[in-house]
Amino acid sequence: MKRYDLIVIGAGLAGLMAARTAVEMGARVLIAGGGMGALTLFGNTIDVLGRIPPGEDIAEGMSGFIDSFPEHPYARTGWEGVEKALDAFQELFPPPYHFSGVTRGNCLLPTGAGTMRPTFLIPATMASGVGMMPASTLVVGFRGFKDFQAETVSLHLRCRGAVIPFPRYRMGGMTAPAIARLMEDHSFVERLGEEIYQRMEGERFIGLPAFFGLREPVAAMKTLEAATGARVFEISILPPSIPGMRIYNRFHERLLQRGTAFLMGTPVSEAIVKDGRCRGIIVKNAPLGAGYQADRFILATGRFLGGGLWAGIERIVEPLFHVPVAQPSRRGEWFKGRFFDPEAHPVSQAGVETAADLRPLNEKGGIFLENLWAAGSILAHHQSIEEKSREGIDIATGYMAARQALAS
Amino acid sequence: MINKCEKIPDEARMPPRFADACVRCANCMAVCPVSRVTPTFPGPKQAGPGAQRFRLPSEASVDDWITLCTGCKLCDTVCPSGVPISRMNLLAKAKYLREQGRKPRDWVLARSDLYGESASRLATVVNPLMKNTVIRKILDSVLEIDARRELPSYERQTFHRWFRARPVAAGGFTQGRVAYFHGCFVDTNETDVGKAVVALLESQGLEVALPPQNCCGLPRLGIGDFRGAREMGARNIASLLPVVRDGVDVVFSSTSCGMMLRHDYSQILGLAGAEELAEHLFDVSEYLLSLYDDKKITPAFLPVKVKAAYFAPCHLRAMNIGLPALELLGLVPGLDVQSVDADCCGLGGLYGFKKENCAVAEAIGGDLAKAVARIKPDIVITDCEGCRMQIRHLTGLKVVHPVQLLRDSLKPLPVTG
Repeated sequence: MKRYDLIVIGAGLAGLMAARTAVEMGARVLIAGGGMGALTLFGNTIDVLGRIPPGEDIAEGMSGFIDSFPEHPYARTGWEGVEKALDAFQELFPPPYHFSGVTRGNCLLPTGAGTMRPTFLIPATMASGVGMMPASTLVVGFRGFKDFQAETVSLHLRCRGAVIPFPRYRMGGMTAPAIARLMEDHSFVERLGEEIYQRMEGERFIGLPAFFGLREPVAAMKTLEAATGARVFEISILPPSIPGMRIYNRFHERLLQRGTAFLMGTPVSEAIVKDGRCRGIIVKNAPLGAGYQADRFILATGRFLGGGLWAGIERIVEPLFHVPVAQPSRRGEWFKGRFFDPEAHPVSQAGVETAADLRPLNEKGGIFLENLWAAGSILAHHQSIEEKSREGIDIATGYMAARQALAS
Repeated sequence: MINKCEKIPDEARMPPRFADACVRCANCMAVCPVSRVTPTFPGPKQAGPGAQRFRLPSEASVDDWITLCTGCKLCDTVCPSGVPISRMNLLAKAKYLREQGRKPRDWVLARSDLYGESASRLATVVNPLMKNTVIRKILDSVLEIDARRELPSYERQTFHRWFRARPVAAGGFTQGRVAYFHGCFVDTNETDVGKAVVALLESQGLEVALPPQNCCGLPRLGIGDFRGAREMGARNIASLLPVVRDGVDVVFSSTSCGMMLRHDYSQILGLAGAEELAEHLFDVSEYLLSLYDDKKITPAFLPVKVKAAYFAPCHLRAMNIGLPALELLGLVPGLDVQSVDADCCGLGGLYGFKKENCAVAEAIGGDLAKAVARIKPDIVITDCEGCRMQIRHLTGLKVVHPVQLLRDSLKPLPVTG
């Protein structure tokens, strides 16, 4: 049986970051994902803590936040840990398609829902949308492309909107991946730029759905800018997220290059535990199960969507290792009275509690397993959606879990 | 051997709740090779769990686009909710084709097992005929087999006849016996892959046996012919099960045949004995790599100054065993091998030969060809015969199975007195 230094369970952003960090440290790594993770659901920009108001220094905001929430995953990594991890993440994306912060704090980006959303690091293709000025911006949508409604977006953002047909193609019902593929064809992008140019009324900024191709989105953006004479930016759309796929693809490509073994398609069905240590995992692909051994394991299986947590009638459980899950004491406390409460429902803060080194705890507060670490949204006591901290938690805890695991 | 559920229509065997496990996350839409190149296929989310809610065995199918699914199974591999999307599509396709009637062409393509052997014997006559433009035009207009696509040539001596005719290998097999499931394509169209498998296994001290076998049945399953696929499967199980019960493992070199034998025989066709057989079925690279990992073999390769692009076929990915061939190739000194960043070759077995699908197959394959070109390789390596045909067709490059490159770089055995 093959033996690895580290097995990462989960192929979302936290798992990918853990695998990447471990590989960079020279470890022999296996990453096992049940599916592709949530990068194609979100994954447009890198949120760290959206609740810090734009203009405020993020380091100061974070230290205040950590003081107020000592059980939050960020209290494990500290701001320094987040910063180092973000640096490692940014190294994966050299220019032209790089991620950067605009100031030392959050910036506001327009979304496909027509809101201005705070975030921290943004890809080069969204940079011109920062702090969008409605009077000089045109938002363009496309006939037959349902995942971006330019009328709604422009109405809410109080700018001008235009819905145009795709050049050359009659493409009712096209999906974002299909358009992203066409955006890799230079002549198509040039024609698209001309079509947009004809509809401009002196705007200096153009917002388009985030589908500028998977491989060379900045080249597509530059072509559109040359054709229109305006600054062009991508606006996030409904899933699947093309910017999220870019992130996934980059990790996947780099991990394969470094010899990381990649399993995907069937979840890890069993963990083999003996004498307080995890010895291996079984990946079942019916009718077969295959075993993999390692010295260390990272649990990055996400929450309910990814299958990291499972909600029964009364209790929430972690189905693989049966790590204790911090949760409301009874079902009646899972939800708040109002669905759209600004604070997360208690059920959404359920998760795995860990020691300072990210090893999950048992019921008595001791270490659950000697060689198991946890990373990403499966961790307890965060409100990643409401706080807008999702990618920051994934990147920082994935990075830290790998370093802690390999230091052991 | 035939499954007990034979009398129930196949499309009724899918529990409806599977559709409700879908949370509409659209991961499948991110990887579907077909909906990426054509708006005529609504994509796996819509075609699978979306449409499944409206499908009733008692009602006629309205899934006019369902035959556009290539059956690559990539949607299954990215779904976080475990929805058997490709199976839904396969069952819907079977119902659609049963109602609409299959074209004679579908039978001609799916039953190559019936004429492959004869075509091989007559290869000197058959091969030029299949390249003849007049014949291709006739095939194109009468049978709707696209004339733009080159048909694979037949080899004059089939693999299994070569195997029986070759001098009996001397002893010295320290690693025991292993049986080989070669599949139709190796037998009649690409015998060198089979010869390479034999040479490679023997070089590592494994004695190779060739149990009686026939087509795995995947082509028939692909046109929704469950009954025919079951017949094929039952015959293979009847032949292979005694072999594995004797303690001999079976390796395959075609990842699609392997996927069918290992998973679809039990999971889709519900064949008796399939699960027991699956425990002893291995991809040839996976098998060699596990022997290597267990330090039972130490293959020695000569340095090879070649730049290669490796493409992982869809059905290899669906088996979820990682990329064993790529790991084995890593043992060849000097070989610069890079993984091709593409999802699917687009041929989809027989899919791309069908006139109505040819443009879709070419568009999907075109993206793969571009990804190959970015690597600028001397050769391309891939485990699936369909991918090899498609990549040859689109790039003009030399395309081999991993075992062929490994065989060619084996160190000659030391001559012993």
